[in-house]
Amino acid sequence: MKLSRQPSAVSARLLVRSASLLVPNRRRADWTAEWLAELWHVEHVSGTVSATSLNFAAGAVNDAFQLRAHSVRAQLMSRLRSLMQPGAPARCLLVLAAATLAALLLCLALPGARRVFLPSPYQHAASLVLISSSGSADLATPSIPVSDYREWTTNTAPLFSELAFYRVAGKTLHLADGPERRLVVAQASPNLLHLLGLRSASATAPALFLTHAAWRKHYRGDAHLVGRVSDIDGTPVPIAGILPADAWQLPGSIDAVLLENPATLAHLAPTTRGFAIARIRGAVFPPPRRGYRFMVETRHDVVYHFDCISLPWLLGQPFANVLLVLFLASIALPATLPLSLSEAPVRRGPLPRATLARRAAFLVAKLTLVPLLVLLCSIALTWGPRFDPNTAFLIQFVTGVPTLLFAFRWILHDQRHRCPECLRVLSNPARVGQASCNFLAWNGTELLCVRGHGLLHIPELPTSWFSTQRWLALDSSWLCLFAEQGNPSPEPI
Amino acid sequence: MTSMPAEARLSHSAAMILQAIHAGHIYGFGVMEVTGLPSGTVYPALRRLERDGFIASRWEQQSIADAEQRPPRKYYRVSRVGRATLEAAWKRYPLIERMLPTPEVERV
Repeated sequence: MKLSRQPSAVSARLLVRSASLLVPNRRRADWTAEWLAELWHVEHVSGTVSATSLNFAAGAVNDAFQLRAHSVRAQLMSRLRSLMQPGAPARCLLVLAAATLAALLLCLALPGARRVFLPSPYQHAASLVLISSSGSADLATPSIPVSDYREWTTNTAPLFSELAFYRVAGKTLHLADGPERRLVVAQASPNLLHLLGLRSASATAPALFLTHAAWRKHYRGDAHLVGRVSDIDGTPVPIAGILPADAWQLPGSIDAVLLENPATLAHLAPTTRGFAIARIRGAVFPPPRRGYRFMVETRHDVVYHFDCISLPWLLGQPFANVLLVLFLASIALPATLPLSLSEAPVRRGPLPRATLARRAAFLVAKLTLVPLLVLLCSIALTWGPRFDPNTAFLIQFVTGVPTLLFAFRWILHDQRHRCPECLRVLSNPARVGQASCNFLAWNGTELLCVRGHGLLHIPELPTSWFSTQRWLALDSSWLCLFAEQGNPSPEPI
Repeated sequence: MTSMPAEARLSHSAAMILQAIHAGHIYGFGVMEVTGLPSGTVYPALRRLERDGFIASRWEQQSIADAEQRPPRKYYRVSRVGRATLEAAWKRYPLIERMLPTPEVERV
């Protein structure tokens, strides 16, 4: 007993008792008793209380820590297993979230779909407009004659601070030591890239700018390409630079931008059609935030209409299409499926608020994830292969609305076939009653919550007294029949 | 308690501790003394071995402890699964059987 009163003995016991706080409650008494008994023996075997007993007691900290770590790990695994069981709501949400993430990654991997999500690469894009004579219906087709462009460069200065023109044409490009390549080139006025904010100053024309994709595809990312002189249809043109990836978002799928001399553009036939891009003066002509504005021109007593279509609005069309598809699917849903989730449940009292909130949150999460997944897939499908905007919209509309409608139906069907209390999918369907006795008795299908919360009755034929499914809550006296509820797994060690 | 296959592989330390218990050193401190391992290694290893079903523990009878005027100790014994695992461990670590011989071997 003398030994125990020494400071080292007290410190060792204090250390063991402190470490015991780390041990899970269920094992603490047993653990502490073993360590104290062993400590007593250490002290009596060595005969003196010294650093030996303190060293011995220090091992208790590691022992307690490892027990706690194992307990936490086992509890987490147990909780995870419970969450990931078939039919568990967390598993459903996790699968949906993983699929949505995969769809987002697919969109980001496809260049056409990726640019839908990226911010506009153009500086001060709000004041940029695409001038079209055919409205927004057919923006993929060039509609501005070069003669109009020439005229506007002189008489639209109050409206536009800068005006540029380009037309898409096939050109043969030849480098001194390389093969000839047929490229699709935007033959443009020298200020096009400056207008878009892709260059700080107008380049000395003529100059060729390859798109990043064409540079990688045709020249394998040759770092020494810039500065070399190419031969384009017999005219020597220096390669002045490589456009940043995803920089070209204007109509026309091109490999390069060829900035031409004004004199060369002047040689184009007046009826040659292309695209006109302008930066409007905000003070006199407020930028069109949504859609487009008319520009009216009178020539030879004839009125011409042109549409100045906002470039940001144009680039945001995929999202506008998505919203339209979502809206159409939402209004079509009640026509295809009753929206109520079930009749009032037959139970002794209302469900607790927390359960109701959890159920609502689960529904909202599905209503968020599923449409998002469908819409991301539709963007990848339509904008990934770089269809023209009209075809993309058509495909998005034709595929998006029915798929979303189906998705909404699945969400409601899934919600109806889950236990209102634990949100697990109801199982063990059983046919009850006979259809021939429909007027005398109930017949239909019964689904069961494996945790014993209740039964869902789904009528085979809706009748005036039993038209939709009903939830029958079971009281706690039934729980012993359900293995999952009645025999909870023991607390992990 | 989790059942483990008989051929489950043990680390060298775990095999030494199992061998020490098999050799008759049935208390944690006794195992420490014969193996030379610190308490921070021996006791966590005992928990793991017990959890895996290789050893089982029992508290000493209170009357015995009272008679000797000391606290009762917890002692360990090798289970059937632990014995099979230990025999497999002897093939991997032949020296441990010589370092900590079982009483029968010692007699021979």
